[in-house]
Amino acid sequence: MKTALTQFAKTRDDITQGLLQWRIWLLLGWQDIKIRYRRSYLGPLWITISMIISIYSMGFLYGHLFGMNMHEYLPHLSAGLLVWTLIANMIIESTAAFTESYHYLKQIKLRYTTLVLRIITRNTIIFLHNFLAFVLVIITMHLPVRWTDLLILPGVLIIMLTSWAFGMILAISSTRFRDFSPIVTSLVQVCFFITPVIWMSRSLPPRYSFITEWNPFSHFLSIVREPMLGRLPTAIDYFITIGIAAFFFILMLWLLNRVRHQIIYWI
Amino acid sequence: MPVITLDNVSLEFPLFGASALSLKKQLLRLTTGGLIKKSRDHKVATVRALHQINLTLQQGDRVGLIGHNGAGKSTLLRLFSRIYEPTQGNIYIQGEVSALLDVMLGMHPDATGYENIYLRGILQGLTRRGIKAKAQSIAEFTELGDYLAVPVRMYSNGMALRLAFAIATTLSPEILVLDEVVGVGDAAFIKKAEQRFEELMLQAKIVILASHDLSIIRKNCNKVIWLEAGELQFFGSCEEGIERYEKNNN
Repeated sequence: MKTALTQFAKTRDDITQGLLQWRIWLLLGWQDIKIRYRRSYLGPLWITISMIISIYSMGFLYGHLFGMNMHEYLPHLSAGLLVWTLIANMIIESTAAFTESYHYLKQIKLRYTTLVLRIITRNTIIFLHNFLAFVLVIITMHLPVRWTDLLILPGVLIIMLTSWAFGMILAISSTRFRDFSPIVTSLVQVCFFITPVIWMSRSLPPRYSFITEWNPFSHFLSIVREPMLGRLPTAIDYFITIGIAAFFFILMLWLLNRVRHQIIYWI
Repeated sequence: MPVITLDNVSLEFPLFGASALSLKKQLLRLTTGGLIKKSRDHKVATVRALHQINLTLQQGDRVGLIGHNGAGKSTLLRLFSRIYEPTQGNIYIQGEVSALLDVMLGMHPDATGYENIYLRGILQGLTRRGIKAKAQSIAEFTELGDYLAVPVRMYSNGMALRLAFAIATTLSPEILVLDEVVGVGDAAFIKKAEQRFEELMLQAKIVILASHDLSIIRKNCNKVIWLEAGELQFFGSCEEGIERYEKNNN
C-alpha cells in the first residue's frame, strides 16, 4: 500500500520517534562520557574533581577581589558555575550534533531529535557529577537542606527542554553554515561575563540592572540556582524561561519542517 | 508484504565547496543587494544523482544493482535505506529495511568489541535483552575471543572487518540493502562470510545488492537495475540486464 507521508507527519515522526528511541540517546550519551575517561584511573570522577578545583580557586580569588563574605559567595559561585556549565556546554556542543554523528547518519536512518538528546544526556550526566562538588560546598558551609530544594528539578527540566529545541535549531543551522559553530562558541563566552555567575546581581548599580533583567541566561540560571541556595525563583523567571522555551520550540518545528529532508545532504 | 515503489524519483545534491557552506557567502550576497533577489534565483550548485526513476520491487526480488562509478548506485541504496529522501517524485517503502552499506561505518574506534556489538544493536532498534540473545553468536562468529574486550582501535584491519561484518549481518530484515561486499579477512573467513550472506539473502524478502562483480550478481540475483549517470538504463531480468550491460561496455 502506498503511504505518502506528508512533510509535517515526517517532522512529527522525527520528534516522537526520536524521543521514543531513548535507548539510543541514553546509550550514546553515556558512552561519550565513558570513552572520554577511559584508561584514566579516576574516570568520570574527574568531572567532579575539576569542578571542585574551579569552585575553590575562583571562589578564593574573586571572593577576595570583590571583598565578599565566603559563606555567601562560595555557594552562589558554585551553584552558578554548575548551571552555567550545563547550559553553555549544551549550546556549544549542539552545533556539532549532526556533524559528529555523520558516520551513523550515512549508514542508518536516525532521527535528528535523537542526536540532540544525546548531547542533553551527556551534559546531564556531567551536571550530576558536578552536583557532587556542590554537595561538598553544602557540607563544608553547613548550608541547610529545605523542601524548596526540590524546585531544582523543574528548573533543570525547563533548561533541558529549551536546550533541546534551541539545540535542534543550532545543529541544523551550523550543519548548513559552518561558521555558526565558532560564532556561537564566542558569543557564549561573552555571555558568561554579562551573566551573574561570578558576580552578584545586587552588586550592579540600579541603573545597570537591565543587564541581568534583560539577560535570558540570568533567568535560566535563577530557576535552578535559587532553589539550590534555598531561595525561590521569581514568577518572572519562570514566565520568561517558559516563554523562551515555547518560542524556540515553535521556531524549531518550523525550521525542521522546512529543511529536515535536506539536512542529510549538508553533512 | 514488503514493497518498494519509486515514482518518478529524482535526487539532486547541493554541491558544497569549502566556501559555499559558509555564512560569508550569504552575508556577502546580502550586502551586494542579494536581498532583492528571491532566494530561488541563487541556488547552490547541485549535482544530479538520480533522474526520474520509476520502478517497483516486490517480494522475492533479488535485485542486482550495476553501473559504472558515479552512476548513482550508492545514492539509490541510501534511498532504499530511507537515509536519503528524493528531491522530486515519491518513494514508498513498506517493510523493515536494514542496510549494510559500509561495514566499517557505525563502529566506534574507542569502544571495545563488545560495546560495539551493543551499540550497533541498540542503533538498529534492539533491546538490551535482544542483544544479549545475539551477542554470543556474534562473538563466536568473529572468532576474536578475548580481543572483543579491547577497543576496536587496536584491531588489525582484518579483525575490525570481521567484527563489523558479524554485527551487521546478525539482523534478519525484510528488506536487505547491500553495497559492494568484498572479501572479508582471510580465506577461511571469506567462506564463512559467503555462507552467512547466502543465509541472510534467503531470509530477506527483498534484497538489493550493488556490485561491480557481475559473477556475484549472476549467482545471487534474479533481477537487475542498471544505472548510468543517474538514469535508469534497464530494469528487468538478470540475464538480459547483464547482457545489455556487457554489450554496452564492449
